[in-house]
Amino acid sequence: MKKSPYGKLKRVILASMILVPLATLILILGIGYYYFTTSLESSTIATVKRIVADHRHMIDSFLSNRKANLEFILHSYSFKDLADPEMLHKTLKRLQKESDAFVDIGLFNEEGMHVNYQGPYRLVGKDYAEARWFKEVMTQGAYISDVFLGYRRIPHFIIALRKTENGQIWVLRATIDTQMFNQLVKSVRIGKTGEAYLLNAEGVFQTERRSGGNLMEKDPEKLKTPSPQTGIKAFIAENIKGEPYLYATTWLREKDWLLVVRQEKADAFRFLHTAAYIIVIVALLGGGAIVGLALFLTNRIIRRMERMDAEREQLGGQLIRASRLAELGEMATGFAHEINNPLQVMKSEQALMDSILLDVKDKGTLKPSDDLKELEDSIQQIGLQTGRCAEITQSILQFGRQSEPVLQDVDLRTFIPEVTKMVEKKADVHGISLKQRISDDLPPVHGDRGQLQQVLLNLFNNAMDAILMRHGAEGGELVVEAGAGEESKAYIRVKDNGIGINAGDLKRIFTPFFTTKPPGKGTGLGLSVCYGIVDKMGGTMTVVSEKGEGSIFTITLPAARSGRSE
Amino acid sequence: MEEMKMMLVDDEERFLSTTEKLLVRKGYDVLTAASGAEALEKLRTHNVHVVILDVKMPGMDGIETLRAIKKEYPLVEVIMLTGHATVESAVEGLKAGATDYLMKPTEVEDLVRKAEEAFAKREVLEGKIRVARTRAMGKSPREILEETGGR
Repeated sequence: MKKSPYGKLKRVILASMILVPLATLILILGIGYYYFTTSLESSTIATVKRIVADHRHMIDSFLSNRKANLEFILHSYSFKDLADPEMLHKTLKRLQKESDAFVDIGLFNEEGMHVNYQGPYRLVGKDYAEARWFKEVMTQGAYISDVFLGYRRIPHFIIALRKTENGQIWVLRATIDTQMFNQLVKSVRIGKTGEAYLLNAEGVFQTERRSGGNLMEKDPEKLKTPSPQTGIKAFIAENIKGEPYLYATTWLREKDWLLVVRQEKADAFRFLHTAAYIIVIVALLGGGAIVGLALFLTNRIIRRMERMDAEREQLGGQLIRASRLAELGEMATGFAHEINNPLQVMKSEQALMDSILLDVKDKGTLKPSDDLKELEDSIQQIGLQTGRCAEITQSILQFGRQSEPVLQDVDLRTFIPEVTKMVEKKADVHGISLKQRISDDLPPVHGDRGQLQQVLLNLFNNAMDAILMRHGAEGGELVVEAGAGEESKAYIRVKDNGIGINAGDLKRIFTPFFTTKPPGKGTGLGLSVCYGIVDKMGGTMTVVSEKGEGSIFTITLPAARSGRSE
Repeated sequence: MEEMKMMLVDDEERFLSTTEKLLVRKGYDVLTAASGAEALEKLRTHNVHVVILDVKMPGMDGIETLRAIKKEYPLVEVIMLTGHATVESAVEGLKAGATDYLMKPTEVEDLVRKAEEAFAKREVLEGKIRVARTRAMGKSPREILEETGGR
């Protein structure tokens, strides 16, 4: 198929049909996505902030409650009371009733000497004068320590309170169960990766971190910390491995510990991803639908336009052919008419010569001889050939002008060989063997000799053209068969072993103006005129053909009613 | 019986001369004219029975000539000689009073045959006229005299 002349138009239609809806779709999806993600992000961050605030509040109240428990003891008892191991034991039990977090309790004098102790360790008599917490509590009055190892070599932290009683200074200290405290801090769970932990001012873990980070180790990540008064800071930062996390940090009120709540960004914003997936899917499906529809519609439009073009072209072609044919007819008619006059003269001359010769012979002035015979024959030939010319002009005139056919009975048994003779030379030149099988029972038909000749010549010439296309100069075979068919009909069959006709062309072969020959080589009228002639004579014309094998044209004509004489 | 006298009218000189010779050889009395005007001119001075008239001629064409002949000499038989393309004019000619037509190129035999037929027809017609005149003679010889004189 030739290239469509609408290539550019097709691209324009296709582009606009795709781009306009696609741009709209993408714009809508984009805006939707933007607002959705923004609101989702801010709500996620708000949630994290709220969680960190709640958690801080809980941890703060835990610490302040423990401090209050201790303060109560401090105010209720004197140093002497507490120096009694029995009393201290009771006190510890009461404390532990308040909270399981209390591991032990100890009483210290002004010098940092462990005066009394109740708990799982043996710490009485140990000197804490140089311990950091002791110095802190002596200066501040109340102190919550970072997690440290101490004499027991186990991570723990303590709450210590100082009391001045009648000039005597003493310190009450309680250890908090780190295990329990750990659980309390860690208890936050958000999504899959959400976790909470505490860091001291130096960035050392005060509680374990679920995703790795042991007690008392330094947090390898440098975190942004809010100033103590600004409260909560939420941000996104990468961990040591480079994975982005959503962080929320805040300082505790009771102790300079930093509460960190963090969650993997992907986890925190997983709904965002879901939204993104949905939008991508919608965009792909919608885009696909748009592109598909655009392709489909564009193809239809272009195909329709091409078809209209083809039809218009075909119509134009037919008109041109028809007018060309009309011109040709006019020209041929004029030509034939002009030829007729000289032919008339020639005919007269020949008749005169004939007449003179006859006279001279009759008078005896010319003796019969071989030369004379030759002369007579020659003159005869001139008459015959002028007759042939006359017939040609007649047939041209017939072509140019629908004249009344001269109807007569035609004996096909002699007529067919006559016509065959006309193409004998052509067949011979092209190495085509021309065979005739004419049955004796072939009845005469009633029709116009010129028209019948036209039909047969047309079939012969077509057959020879087909043979030449397949065989070239040898191997061609053209067979003419004729005989009596059914219902007193005569049939004439023209068989060739040429290239044959394909099925598509076969359907249109008798259509006027249909030709497979290159433009200008055939009018496409030959077979349709033949068909018309045969049809007018009350006959039929059919064709069977196999591409590459050859064709068979069969004409049936009604036998003449007047019998078989001519 | 009177001999048939023919006149050939055609613009093709050689056709005229050759056909004339042929017809003369066959023993016919033949006149020729190269145009319609000449034909009418010769009819004035010669007693022609059958005119073979070409349809297509320069100047005064066949049909015009035919009409003129029929107007002046209604008894003259005219045979139209037509080319194939002028069958319509042949029909027109027949309607305008031509006896018959011949298709070009024509055989001399056909020409002679049709001319003879036309002549025979004229003979019959003249016979009838003679009978009519003979009957009329008894009534008014003067009229008859006048009529014959007028011819």
